[in-house]
Amino acid sequence: MPQTEGSTARTEHDAEFVALLNATWFGANLPPEAQVRLVGLARRYQAPAGTTLLTEGQLANEIGIVLSGRVSLRTLVPEQGWVTILTVEPGDIFGQSALVPPYRSTSTVVALQPVDVLALDGPGLRAALAADHDLAAVLYPRVLQALARRLNATRLQMLDLFAR
Amino acid sequence: MTSSAVTTVTTEPRRGTGFLPRAEFQHLIDLLGEDGRTVIGPTVADGAIVYGEVRAVSDLPVGMGAEQSPGRYRLVDHHDERYFAYAVGPTSWKRFVFPPTLDLAESHRDEHGHVSFGPVHHEIPKLAFLGVRACELAALGIEDRVLLGGPYTDEDFRKRREHALIVAVQCAEPGGTCFCTSMGTGPGVRGGHDVLLVELADGFLVSSGSEEGAGIVARLGLSAATEDQLVEGSDQLVAARDRIGDPVATAGLHDRLLAKLDSPRWAEIADRCLACTNCTAVCPTCFCTSVSQRSDLDGRTAVTERRWDFCFTKGFSAVALGGNFRPRVQDRYRQWLTHKFATWIDQFGTSGCVGCGRCITWCPVGIDVREELNLIAPPPVLGTEAQVAAHAPRTSVFHVDAVRPETHDTVTLALSTPDGMDWSRLHGEFVMVSVPAIGSIPISISRRLPTGMELTVRAVGPASTFVTGLERGAEVGLSAPLGHGWPVEAAHDHDVVIVGGGMGFPPLRPIVDEILAHRASFGEVHIYHGARTPSDLLYKEELAAWASRGDLDVGVTVDRADTTWLGRVGVVTQLFDHARWDGSKAIAFVCGPERMIQATVSTLAARGITQDRIFISMERHMECGVGLCGHCQVGPFFVCKDGPVFSLAQLGDVFGREGI
Amino acid sequence: MVRATSTPRPRLGVVKLASCDGCQLMLLNLEDALLSIAERIDIVEFPEATSHRSSGPYDVVLVEGAVSTPEQLETIHEVRREAKSLVTIGACATAGGIQAMRNWANHDAFRAAVYAHPEYVESLATAQPVSDYVKVDGELRGCPINGDQLLEFVAALLTGRRANLPDEAVCAACKRAGRVCVMVAQGIPCLGPVTMTGCGALCPGFDRGCYGCFGPREQANAASLGAQFVAMGQTPVEAGRLFAGFTGYAPPFRDVITELGGAPGIPAGHAPSPASTGTPSGGN
Repeated sequence: MPQTEGSTARTEHDAEFVALLNATWFGANLPPEAQVRLVGLARRYQAPAGTTLLTEGQLANEIGIVLSGRVSLRTLVPEQGWVTILTVEPGDIFGQSALVPPYRSTSTVVALQPVDVLALDGPGLRAALAADHDLAAVLYPRVLQALARRLNATRLQMLDLFAR
Repeated sequence: MTSSAVTTVTTEPRRGTGFLPRAEFQHLIDLLGEDGRTVIGPTVADGAIVYGEVRAVSDLPVGMGAEQSPGRYRLVDHHDERYFAYAVGPTSWKRFVFPPTLDLAESHRDEHGHVSFGPVHHEIPKLAFLGVRACELAALGIEDRVLLGGPYTDEDFRKRREHALIVAVQCAEPGGTCFCTSMGTGPGVRGGHDVLLVELADGFLVSSGSEEGAGIVARLGLSAATEDQLVEGSDQLVAARDRIGDPVATAGLHDRLLAKLDSPRWAEIADRCLACTNCTAVCPTCFCTSVSQRSDLDGRTAVTERRWDFCFTKGFSAVALGGNFRPRVQDRYRQWLTHKFATWIDQFGTSGCVGCGRCITWCPVGIDVREELNLIAPPPVLGTEAQVAAHAPRTSVFHVDAVRPETHDTVTLALSTPDGMDWSRLHGEFVMVSVPAIGSIPISISRRLPTGMELTVRAVGPASTFVTGLERGAEVGLSAPLGHGWPVEAAHDHDVVIVGGGMGFPPLRPIVDEILAHRASFGEVHIYHGARTPSDLLYKEELAAWASRGDLDVGVTVDRADTTWLGRVGVVTQLFDHARWDGSKAIAFVCGPERMIQATVSTLAARGITQDRIFISMERHMECGVGLCGHCQVGPFFVCKDGPVFSLAQLGDVFGREGI
Repeated sequence: MVRATSTPRPRLGVVKLASCDGCQLMLLNLEDALLSIAERIDIVEFPEATSHRSSGPYDVVLVEGAVSTPEQLETIHEVRREAKSLVTIGACATAGGIQAMRNWANHDAFRAAVYAHPEYVESLATAQPVSDYVKVDGELRGCPINGDQLLEFVAALLTGRRANLPDEAVCAACKRAGRVCVMVAQGIPCLGPVTMTGCGALCPGFDRGCYGCFGPREQANAASLGAQFVAMGQTPVEAGRLFAGFTGYAPPFRDVITELGGAPGIPAGHAPSPASTGTPSGGN
């Protein structure tokens, strides 16, 4: 990325975002080039408790990295109402459906506490991953790790171990 | 028995071997029957030579023997005069020293809920065992080790053993399923008897093995045996040994067998095995039992009955709510064979098998352990000697001082006993809670109190449902604390990680109490509790209080929740798989369902906690609580006595293995 | 002090389907305990003891007999609705009983052969255990049931504990009693190893093989036992027939009968599979 005059503000902004990424297990210790690419696709937002961040079935336009606060993944079960399947804690991601066709959220994501989120633009990230194999090579393992962890948790939850 | 100068002098002239002519054998039977003894010996009944009362020579299997092969036994008539020319039949002496059923205790609960527990006293008969073989003496020695050699002893067995006079008869006619030679127990008698007989064509060589035996031999007034008679006797023994051969390669069998826990042969045996329990029932050393209560219609009076039980039944390894750690026949056969030939050695210092061959003959489908051992794998055998120690635990009456509901099906009971003993100082991890006519269940101590303890109980079966329904002032019976608890001292100067899932959390609470009592002795403390739903969380207020102290890291999660729950949802491992603490300085204590423990253990290992620093508590079917009933065996351990808390390093590859 | 001491007397009903009444008689045979039981339990329905008929709801209903007719099928669904706890008693109710032998045969041909006017006989194609139709909460096995087990069941019901009804093989009780195995010592085929305990190992005590009236125990390895009978000299059909008694229709026995060709009432070599639930007979 060419350095241009007057980009100090942008650079400071990027450095702050890189620091934020490094504070999460998902984003920490990525190569500097990869971090710069991600920061270029990122926005940061805060939301109060109770905010619906994503709705099941709707397009997931962003992957969120929770910086602070707690986010719940919910699904509506007829006769049971809303059931919380999992909570996402600081450092972990939600909205990874933005990377997987048909890019629609598989659960409804609601902030349980005031949250601070670093969000990566979905279409932009997809394009970057398709074009930049170095980025793909370092980022996909993180995404896989997050998914595998979630899959493993889901299996154990499904066993309903504490029912016995 | 006391020794005095007088008896020494009278037995001295009879120290050698005498000869009893066949025609005078009745004299011996009569002498054995003196002092109110009943003589039990071989007799023919129902197509076999069994042990029953013997009053006269005519009760003995004169001229009879038996052909034995896997799954088959047939009486044969030798058309001779011999009384003991047979190999052991279906009965073993176990029946007379360790009865198939025995009333142990009587309990009462009156209309006000007062409970009382008392032992049942038995008149112990004075018996003389006539015709005990070398393998059977070895079996009695093994039972002595099992039932009298540990910290808890079976006093009924001790009395019956002490009340039995043993007349051994040297083996001259081994059967087709014998392998005592391989097990190092026979055919020659090497002690443990009062009197030893060697049957010859015309009579018996007679010698004594104890002072009491010497007294009897002296009264027979025998002439000394001739050189020829002695040679005839030893030739018979050599011939017997040669006939048996050495059918099982026992060198290194222990290790070789335990290395074959995953052999495909187990499943093949299960195709034939009927799991009918005959092998264990005829085994002279199998000692496993179960207890159950019989009650009157009102449940006021109950008798606790112990009966032989067998590791081949489903109920034997069942735990609450239909769980079972050994669901398949192949699991049960493997448990039996590996216990008998391998883990028994770890537990008691001897093999559990004496090579008598009963399990082979009396298996209805003729499964031959000699063949199976040689096929699956091939151990050192030792002599035996009994030890003497303390008593089995007594049941004390405790009062319910307080009842605190934890969840819809779980309560915490504060219990105390008026006996004045400082219960908080008694080691042990769990107690057996008994209710007359309802049953007896193991419950972990969830807090130690100066005059008693707290127990957190979930209603899952009739007995636990009854206990959770108790109100302030009610009475229950409690054993002294049993088992090995958490090694909290080992965590001094270390960080501590406590992970409790569901009902696995209560047993961990005393660790937290201990830490809080000596907070400065421990490093960072992390407490993680997982439950099914928010309403299943235990000790909610305590958890909040602990969290607010600032010197404890408390994490709570549930498997699923509705929208009113603002806490974490997910599995318990997610509370710490990305935590920042350093596992290399930590000691972990984990309790919960076994599958949850497995997941937790691998996450802890990934965080750098080594196997010797991870302690877990195992769930198994527990009945006696003192390592005498056999139910809770896992590999070389009895969970109740050696555990329930083990380090992962201690358990080795036993942990997480299917069907063990 | 202790909760739930003065609950009302439980209402118990005894219901009969296709059966011989022998199991009900076992209840009447509990002479010594019968009066005490009657004081503590409200027996509202008991055809063998009283002609007075009542109806549910029941706390516990004991069901005797197999489901063999369309009327019984209606009855069992009705009883299930009325009963908090439904317990089947005896080989007929728990395994189909002797009448389930017809499940291997052509039902219409059977009926025509036995009855002068088969058109008056209304029956289902098969006689089936109660559990094939409705949920069963507990069972007492045997032909007939064992008095001690019945008493234990009642005592457990009244005290609120779990009844002590072991699931082990007959062999376990036989060996505790000190009996000599008739199979090993005399070559008499015996179903003890695969049969649920509860009878006190009655038959082997009289030098007879167990004929399985308590039905298969859990994990009954009937195939291995059948093979052993053959190894002992029985023909496969004879070996199969040994399983075809009061509980022959219970799955592990049923399978070995079919496999060895010992279907009851069928000449050797023509062993069909038994008709399954709900399929009309006469298809062959």
